[in-house]
Amino acid sequence: MKKFLTILLSLQALLLAPAHAYVNDALSFAHEAANPYFKKGYTVREDAWGGDLGVKDQQAVAAQLFKGNDYWFCLGTEVGNAVVTIHIYDSQGKLAESESWQKGRFAAARVVPQKTGTYYAIITVEKSPKERTGWAVVYAYK
Amino acid sequence: MTKTISLVAAAILFAAAHRVPAQSPSATIDLSKFPAKEVSDVVVPVPSEIFIVLDKLGTPNWRAELRKSLGKNTGNRPQVALLLGTVIAEGFIAVEAEDSERVKDIGRELLVLAEAINVRKAVIARCKSVTEKANAKQWQAVRTEFDGALQDVRGAMEELGDDDLAQLVSMGGWIRGTEVLTSVVQKNYTPAGAELLHQPQLLNYFTNRLDRIKNTRLGKDDLVVRTGKMLGAIRPLIGKEDGSKIPVENVQRINQMTKEMVLSITSPGA
Repeated sequence: MKKFLTILLSLQALLLAPAHAYVNDALSFAHEAANPYFKKGYTVREDAWGGDLGVKDQQAVAAQLFKGNDYWFCLGTEVGNAVVTIHIYDSQGKLAESESWQKGRFAAARVVPQKTGTYYAIITVEKSPKERTGWAVVYAYK
Repeated sequence: MTKTISLVAAAILFAAAHRVPAQSPSATIDLSKFPAKEVSDVVVPVPSEIFIVLDKLGTPNWRAELRKSLGKNTGNRPQVALLLGTVIAEGFIAVEAEDSERVKDIGRELLVLAEAINVRKAVIARCKSVTEKANAKQWQAVRTEFDGALQDVRGAMEELGDDDLAQLVSMGGWIRGTEVLTSVVQKNYTPAGAELLHQPQLLNYFTNRLDRIKNTRLGKDDLVVRTGKMLGAIRPLIGKEDGSKIPVENVQRINQMTKEMVLSITSPGA
């Protein structure tokens, strides 16, 4: 899957106006999750990734990360009663995050890479009142 | 009793209002069993993610890395797309150099190139903002604007059905960013600096994207073909495993390859 939010937004705008709204909302919640880190001097990437998942479904977002940087991956969903999580693994499948938190429709994980390489942000919809739950991820670095 | 209920309610409200550590995730996962459709293509980093690390490792002379000329637009769309990518990467270098005049030049050039591939409208606001924030020397904000300009250009091109061309913008940025990275690292070699070149999945991703356009007219464009060959030549030089040492000779070879490619993109026919 390569779903830059821009593509998703434009496709959904054409096909399904309400869906456009929920993905857009998910992005705003992802930015809300990232806001504390922006205030702490992290640069929040303009690029974002998103989609929708069923309950207990997972999605991996692969990212090239650099040793020497400090990253926060921030996840949000537009579904108020949903519970979503995000965790970061290295290319060997080992948990690589130094901390993470979860609060309802928001979640975030921090990684300070020990090696430069590919890392995977695993997104999971743990609970949701809806069949499909929109999600969006942004990341911040410093 | 009432007091107990109040205390419990207060505790619940307190817990709800604060972030709690996520439930313990699995210590390991088997990525090979992850269905391919559920793994995204690799996220392409912006040059400043690398430049910030270089700043932490030493004090690169960013001004010395800036190019005098931003390049020549031939009107050939693949060349313009690659050139646009190199110009945006140049913007990140100018930010590191804190050169507000150069940043403003780059903002203007960005607008000219965006017009050449019909996406001017998408970046007008960004370019204006680049100029304003460069004048105010708000470097982090300028960095964000260049990042946003890259996404806006790509997004607008994808909306026009130019997905492949949009990828060339990313590749142009990566090529110029890698030229600068290798230039800085080879001047003051350290294994930690060289490790920044270890980007196997990103190279695979770019190569796959080029393979997908191989059979079209765009895929046969000379610059596109040469970009593919260069990526293939770089792949064995960046270390097999995460953390493996990349020798200075490899850094120099990658620098030479990317420098020649940037020259081909910016000074075609020279």
